[in-house]
Amino acid sequence: MANGTWKIARNRGGAQLPIALLAALAVALILIGKAQNTLFDRARASVTDWAAPALQVVRAPLVGLDRWMGSIGDIFTVYQENLRLKAENARLRQWRNAAVMLDDRVKRYQLLLHAVPDPSLSSVMARVIGRSNEPFLQTMILDAGKAQGIKPGQAVIDARGMIGRIFLTGNHTSWVILLTDLNSRIPVNIEPGNAQAIMAGDNTRAPSLDLLSQNVTLKPGAQVVSSGDGGLLPPGLAIGTVVADPAGGYRVVLLADSSSSEDVNVVDFKLKTEQPPAASPNDLPATAAGLPPAAPPPVAPTVAPIVMPPAVKPGVPPVPAGPTTATPPAARNGAPADNGNE
Amino acid sequence: MRTMERTGSIMGGRVLFSLVPVSLGILGALIANFPVSVLGGQVPPPLLVFMPLYFWAMVRPDLMTPFWVFTLGILQDLLSGGPPGVWAASFLGAYFLIDRQRDMLAGLSGIGAIAGFAVSALAACFTAYVIVALYYWHFPPLAPMLVQLAMTVLFYIPAVFALGIVHRRLVGPYRSDF
Repeated sequence: MANGTWKIARNRGGAQLPIALLAALAVALILIGKAQNTLFDRARASVTDWAAPALQVVRAPLVGLDRWMGSIGDIFTVYQENLRLKAENARLRQWRNAAVMLDDRVKRYQLLLHAVPDPSLSSVMARVIGRSNEPFLQTMILDAGKAQGIKPGQAVIDARGMIGRIFLTGNHTSWVILLTDLNSRIPVNIEPGNAQAIMAGDNTRAPSLDLLSQNVTLKPGAQVVSSGDGGLLPPGLAIGTVVADPAGGYRVVLLADSSSSEDVNVVDFKLKTEQPPAASPNDLPATAAGLPPAAPPPVAPTVAPIVMPPAVKPGVPPVPAGPTTATPPAARNGAPADNGNE
Repeated sequence: MRTMERTGSIMGGRVLFSLVPVSLGILGALIANFPVSVLGGQVPPPLLVFMPLYFWAMVRPDLMTPFWVFTLGILQDLLSGGPPGVWAASFLGAYFLIDRQRDMLAGLSGIGAIAGFAVSALAACFTAYVIVALYYWHFPPLAPMLVQLAMTVLFYIPAVFALGIVHRRLVGPYRSDF
């Protein structure tokens, strides 16, 4: 600890210039990273792919230790916790019955109204093999990547609700940006009332809500679900409940706890691309103007066709080598040959 | 002939030992950014990479050059998942401070030495905080960074003993200081 006991290299000097040059390089890197982060992300994904087996091996004993340490405090509250869970379970069973009845009713209404059915969601189950809780970044690493069909932007959920989004994929690993991260922005709906908002992470445990309408007043306890705006995330994913922020505004207490999630689902949501309706003859400009529809374009080329001798194509009648049957340009446009515009 | 061989092996060993500070920095970056936490990710990991960086930037700046500081910063950026260049610039800022105040920092002992390290780590963390705030155009919360700083200073207390042993046994003082 006594630094004064060590001898120091005295012949320094001239370090200022390299520091300045390298600092300039670092700033350039930051700016390049802001504009185009692909190269750095690719390197990061490769490193994670390479380290994934080691992560899986090391993770198991550490998770056991983590659980053991986390459960030390729970020993003293087991009885109260048990009573609370029983009461909560009874309440949730009532809600489940109500949800099943309402789900049936909604399906009947959809059938009656010929409503477009909700798109089906496919998902990939993945295991969390790492968590990173840096001061400026909150992520987790999954053991599924491009090889399993994971793509950036897909939602990551666990049994309780949404955790985050995929932001980087390697071949066999992927990085999740958590909802609490500084870079997370999710369009959400707040029920009841269908209020639209953007949920923004700020590295605290409860992301903030930026309401899109200033006239909306929220009640604490309102449910926050994904809105599906933008078509990237499926609508209706459970996210959390609204609480009032003592500093003003609202925040969301998340349903999912990313620090304890072990297995998660990566939801693949693809909106079906809407095909534009095929154009009918009435949609063509000429017929819409009251003019007769255009004659179908002739198949004859402008060059005289080559007549094949019967010996070459037996059984096919010879085609007379007549004049070209090219249609005048005016007629091709659907107008009379003489003067259609007058 | 034997003398030449011995000279060669001594030179080779010296080159090898001169890489010890940087190797320990790389090891620190790997351990600190290993994405598995025993505390459920509640506490940010300490900046282990900064400990050998500070130590040898102070006692052997010829082995912990600005180039190596930059390289360790890039490695920290790569492994921590943050934007590229943030920790590289922050470590260089702290290195600049250490370079200017080396005599004063090296003269400290006991609590003073820890305080000197804390000030340098604060410089690095504060620089990173400002860069990140500018990068995202949004002030991130201060608390996680302060917790990381506290963890770093706390871990430095046992680490400095280990670094001292490594310095005495393997690296050694600068030749002209004998």
